[in-house]
Amino acid sequence: MTTRTADELRNKTQMYYEDVSEGQMLPTYVLGPMTPTHVFRWSAAIENWHRIHYDQDFAIYHEGLPNILVNGSWKQSIMPGYLKDLCLPDGWMWKVSFQHRAMIVPGDTLTCWAKVTSKYVKEGMGFIELETGMKTQDDIETCPGTGTIVLPLKGGRAIPYPFVPPKS
Amino acid sequence: MTQQQQTYLTPEVKAMIGKEGEKVEVTIWGIEKENLRRFIHAIMDPDPRYWDEEFARSTKYGEIVVPPIYCTYLSKTPPGAEDPISRAFRNNPVSDGLGGMERPRPGQLPSLPTPLVRVLNAGNDIEVFKYPSLGDRIFSQQKYANIIERVGRDGAHMLIVTNETRFTNQHDELLCISRSSGFRR
Repeated sequence: MTTRTADELRNKTQMYYEDVSEGQMLPTYVLGPMTPTHVFRWSAAIENWHRIHYDQDFAIYHEGLPNILVNGSWKQSIMPGYLKDLCLPDGWMWKVSFQHRAMIVPGDTLTCWAKVTSKYVKEGMGFIELETGMKTQDDIETCPGTGTIVLPLKGGRAIPYPFVPPKS
Repeated sequence: MTQQQQTYLTPEVKAMIGKEGEKVEVTIWGIEKENLRRFIHAIMDPDPRYWDEEFARSTKYGEIVVPPIYCTYLSKTPPGAEDPISRAFRNNPVSDGLGGMERPRPGQLPSLPTPLVRVLNAGNDIEVFKYPSLGDRIFSQQKYANIIERVGRDGAHMLIVTNETRFTNQHDELLCISRSSGFRR
């Protein structure tokens, strides 16, 4: 998966529990190359005025950084969106966790990835445990984490909305 | 006992586990389209579930929804408030754009009774149960979910503080839970 279009998301076919297996790499999602304008747009959208995200002179000469930095909060929004897309149209992105590691700077192209670590069925719903991350073009992991998505079983019950976690 | 060997997980700190802040509204005008439009461009997500009303009605949600953790980004400067940017640079012409920008944030947790002041992000985890709808008013409530102590490679003790924030709508439906952990050194 590269940058997706509205029509691709509108017409996405369901991935079912039976379609994935342990160790499988799920479709990736590529963003970038990132530019200062992308970073500025995010900072403005969430009212983050920290100059390391838009003032290159300040970032380099005052803070000693290699360039302005892509916000950790942006990464934090991208990963749930990536997992959400994997679940469309009728699955559910339940849990996501991550750590902020390497810096991302303008010029970087990012690949969101997910690997199935385990799967199980509870209350008729298919739970997929994932190892996740966001790597740069240099294979540097910037955002290692985990996720849990919930997929329907073929011919099985619908995933409830709002999502109701299993009792145990 | 030197500072390197000192425990910071004191009874006073332990007593903070489970403490909750006040439940407060984080939306100013509720979930509204224009803010949503800016946000979905910024996260480069063209999903029509966020903007195409006719298509959204045909989905399992039955209406336009917002991105999974949108409600964690709703705290903004309210109209009429003192301009935080002007204030910060008036007080410090070389402000980094972060310090001095603080504004009253109702619902914040009480400070931890610890001399450890350096904070480093240790990770985040988020659980999502429901997407907000247009027009929803969103509320948040923070809690000290856990505080543990670790010893670094240099022998210095540090605290790992996990703050949990629960987001609900005007019907008190749980939308998502965000947990943020930070090192205190």
